[in-house]
Amino acid sequence: MRRVLLDRRGITPVLSNVLLMAIAVAGMSIAIAATYVITGNLRETMGERFVIEDVWFKTDGEISVYLRNTGKMSIKVAALYVNYTAQSFTSLELDVGGHGWLSITYNWSSNSVYHIGVATSRGIEVADYYRSPA
Amino acid sequence: MRTITGLRLRRDRRGVSNIIVVVLSLVIIIAIVSNVVLWSYQMNQLDWEKIRENVKISNVTRVSATRSPWFVVQSEYTVNTGSRVSGAYEDTQVADDGGWETFQEEETPPTYRLDVNGTFTLDLSSYPLWSVSTVEIQLRYGASDAGENWYLKAYNWTANEFSDSGFNSTTGHTPTTGWDNYAVNLTDQWRSYVQDDGTMRVEVCDEGNEAVRMTVDIDFLGVRIVFSEIRFTFRNEGALTFHLVSLWIINSTDHERYDINAIVNSGETLNYIRDDISLPTGQYAVKVVTERGNIAVYLGS
Repeated sequence: MRRVLLDRRGITPVLSNVLLMAIAVAGMSIAIAATYVITGNLRETMGERFVIEDVWFKTDGEISVYLRNTGKMSIKVAALYVNYTAQSFTSLELDVGGHGWLSITYNWSSNSVYHIGVATSRGIEVADYYRSPA
Repeated sequence: MRTITGLRLRRDRRGVSNIIVVVLSLVIIIAIVSNVVLWSYQMNQLDWEKIRENVKISNVTRVSATRSPWFVVQSEYTVNTGSRVSGAYEDTQVADDGGWETFQEEETPPTYRLDVNGTFTLDLSSYPLWSVSTVEIQLRYGASDAGENWYLKAYNWTANEFSDSGFNSTTGHTPTTGWDNYAVNLTDQWRSYVQDDGTMRVEVCDEGNEAVRMTVDIDFLGVRIVFSEIRFTFRNEGALTFHLVSLWIINSTDHERYDINAIVNSGETLNYIRDDISLPTGQYAVKVVTERGNIAVYLGS
């Protein structure tokens, strides 16, 4: 015991090994955490699916879009575009299997074609052309 | 050999951090595989299933009907022409109960006329307007003479007059001088005769060309709502079972959505009947949506 305490020559290699291990563990932990976050976001984005069930051109200058979440993640509608122009709307979040109306005020013309797109907060977009009633 | 290897490992500490890095790298790879690759496989499978789904609406028809209880007058009849002889409106609320209300044609020779009407209220809290297919009116009466026909009319709130326009029968009913039943159906024109609050006015009147002054006993006069049942025929022409979750009835003025829960196996046809749905008049579209997000449309009129 006394020899160990008196012999200080082995301390430096031990310290360097311990430090090296600590750095390796810390670095890899950060890498794993980052991987989980990145792949988690990727997984959420990949799991998003939704459809536009119906588009209703109402006579009072309103367009209502009915959405259904058919994916495996909850979605939050972030933007609604009519002819590639963003419109203001009341926030809508849909759980898995959820569905609901999304309404905007828009002075549409009869018998005209509109490109309507809906984008989620994760960047997934569903869009199509819809003809207004004559 | 084992001793030599053990000694070398114990002496060569540089390998420990390498092992840690390799192990943790494996953890990262497993995380990526499980989170991304397997998930991607699942979502691809979901998309593939959606592509293979094939739903068709092969037919939409009105089938048998159900009816509400009778709604009867809750106040005395208004006699426009003629007079009340005996009885009261309560006597006309139940058929064949031994009581009736008697009216007589007015005394204006050479033709005698009778024209009475009552107000009826349909219970729209129990039977909302959207569920109504049509309205029926039934009269049980006894006339003292068979010389002229008797008519049932309703007040047309649009035209502001009593009318039988659009009724299934407008030829009236010839009495037998005993007790007779006479019923009419307002067909798809019923909405002109029912106010938004369910109020209806029904008139009993004679033909007007009879030279004999008649008395008429009204034993029962009531109206009731007829609900249509709609049969949707769904056909699965795909290789996978589908689950229908939404049903839409769309016309030029309304887009009505209904929850639906129907599963159709591959290659099978399902007749799905609903009594809470009414088809609009004129052109309409029926649309169903599957749980996977596929949509089928049927156009009807």
